Amino acid sequence: MKRLLVCLFPLILFTNISFAIIEIDITEGNREPLPLAISEFFHDNNQEIIDKKITENIRTVISDDLERSGLFSSIDDKAFIQTNRAMHLKPRFADWRLIKAQGLLTGELAIEDDRLRVEFRLWDTFAEKEIEGLVLITTIDNWRRISHMIADKIYERLTGEEGYFDTRIVYVAEEGPKNKRIKKLAIMDQDGANHKFLTSGKELVLTPRFNPVRQEITYLSYFKNLPRVYLLNIQTGIQEVVGDFPGMTFAPRFSPDGGKIIMSLAREGNSDLYVMDLTNRVVERLTDSPAIDTSPSYSPDGKKITFNSDRGGSQQIYVMDSNGRNQKRISKEGGNYATPVWSPRGDLIAFTKFYQGQYFIGVMRTDGSGERLLTENWYQEAPSWSSNGRVLIFYRETKANDAGDGHSSSIWSIDLTGFNERKIITPVDASDPSWSKLIQ
Amino acid sequence: MRISVVGSVSLHFLILLFTIVSLPLFNNDELEMPPVIQVELIEIAEKTNVPQISKKKEDKKPEKENKKEEQKLNQPIQKPKEEKSNEKVKDPSTEEKIENKKIEEKMIQNMPVRKPEIKKKDKFDPLKLAELIDKQKDTKQTNPEDIVEKDYEALDSTPSLDKRLTLSEEDAIRAQFMQCWSIPLGIPYDETMIVKIKIFLNTDGSLLKPPEVVQHERMNKPGEKYFRTLAESALRAVRRCDPIKAPEAERYDNWKNLQLNFDPREILRG
Repeated sequence: MKRLLVCLFPLILFTNISFAIIEIDITEGNREPLPLAISEFFHDNNQEIIDKKITENIRTVISDDLERSGLFSSIDDKAFIQTNRAMHLKPRFADWRLIKAQGLLTGELAIEDDRLRVEFRLWDTFAEKEIEGLVLITTIDNWRRISHMIADKIYERLTGEEGYFDTRIVYVAEEGPKNKRIKKLAIMDQDGANHKFLTSGKELVLTPRFNPVRQEITYLSYFKNLPRVYLLNIQTGIQEVVGDFPGMTFAPRFSPDGGKIIMSLAREGNSDLYVMDLTNRVVERLTDSPAIDTSPSYSPDGKKITFNSDRGGSQQIYVMDSNGRNQKRISKEGGNYATPVWSPRGDLIAFTKFYQGQYFIGVMRTDGSGERLLTENWYQEAPSWSSNGRVLIFYRETKANDAGDGHSSSIWSIDLTGFNERKIITPVDASDPSWSKLIQ
Repeated sequence: MRISVVGSVSLHFLILLFTIVSLPLFNNDELEMPPVIQVELIEIAEKTNVPQISKKKEDKKPEKENKKEEQKLNQPIQKPKEEKSNEKVKDPSTEEKIENKKIEEKMIQNMPVRKPEIKKKDKFDPLKLAELIDKQKDTKQTNPEDIVEKDYEALDSTPSLDKRLTLSEEDAIRAQFMQCWSIPLGIPYDETMIVKIKIFLNTDGSLLKPPEVVQHERMNKPGEKYFRTLAESALRAVRRCDPIKAPEAERYDNWKNLQLNFDPREILRG
């Protein structure tokens, strides 16, 4: 009996002791961009690589991509203390930590059978280990895409989110005076490179939209003063007419599987939402209200649609099932809302808001809660999501003076946090941008 | 047979009774802990430790007054032992004085540096604050020893179960990791996005062995790439902060093992 009690006593005593470890909650951190050391990839003095400056170019593209995201900063290579070859094999981590690099990118280039072989490694300088590594083989002139792909891999490994650098932006290029504007369809890489015009400008084009599955766009153009919707395959250049849609003002948007398009059509003076199956071209009506319903956009799972309607007296954002049922207003704050677009991540809806004489680009949760206005300006609209749902692009116009001069429009990007607002450089004025998915 | 059954039943009953009676006794200290007053968040160590030492040397009267108030507050848990220790402090020997002076210097050196915040919070009456904090500290730890003596851990090197970091020591450690942690802002909000890391430290504040992620299994699960990113960022922060500016070495037992909870949920919620 005594023995038993003697045995039990320490047990009861130690139930209290086991909670001895002290816990410290860290709920804030450093929001500065993560410093990365991005080295030039070494090679065995290959003349073609030297002539085409491929090492320098790859480093510049990767470094620019990551810096533009606002999440990373690239350390000046003058601070580097190891040769490119040595660091690729075994970095001296302590030295890299000294220059505050939290990550190190090294790589090797070679040309084999007229093809460029790119091998890269991403090192965590604090954990002292390789955390990502890959070999990519491509044609020599494709170094730019390879660079974007490497930047995407780094972004994904360090943020946990898919990158968005190997993507394209299609937009409406604008030239000429405001009353006689020439509008052409144009496409470029997300960093502004590889820019080209897709239409001649003879006919007015509006609101191009990317297919979320294929490298295909849909856009609205006026043929004999009638709105006509086109499908254009970017890779093959094949263009096809979807149909003439009198009373259409915005081009349709694709469903997440790319098989349907959803649009607003004005019939008998009343604008409602319709969906068209692209395989059989059957059109189905989704809304039937006396109000103006426009700007429909699918949720990424295809089960819901967000749209814009003035049925409540002012333009507001609504959500409904993809068959048109359960229509519900979600925007709750004051002001008028337009162009709702569902995030590819599914958690947010981006919109344009007009409130007290100013235009805002903002986001809200899919039930309308948590509205956040990211940017404010005299005139801006038409947000489009990056493929990872992290960044928005939109276009902004500057005010013309009394003489009608000074009007311009340009594409901007902004991070979901509301920081890192950047102008995307285009050769001419730009509006109505649409961002592609990652190029497959 | 019957005897053994009766014996067994009564033994079980005794154990049960003993557990019921004894457990609340052990928890008694914590139960009597007063609720944390918000004002106490302000640099306890700077305000309590230093004034205590200076009061002791320069001005004994206010200390006595304080003590009276404290005694009033702590009446239910006062023990005779306390009076002895109080007397000791009131009438210290010259040896003690020298020793205390040394320790005081050491304490001042090791005090966490949070000077700008002290300035900010100067709008509070520091004397009142010190009083409040003294009371809090006394009642919280229910330690009959004099506060000054308690701070001088050198006098008592045996580890005690209820030893904790002061709030300012915690704050100082927290501030260091906040500086070192680059939050992966790209990850989406999720209620479970919190990474718990155990760290084991040497007396100089350096890592004794690699940090351990408590939920390490989750890191390698498919579909948990956001958690892995978060955990890796937290591990980088721990290594980047190595070595931390540690609290005083005499209190090593208190902080040699810590659990850091990296919790970005409020930030990610937006």
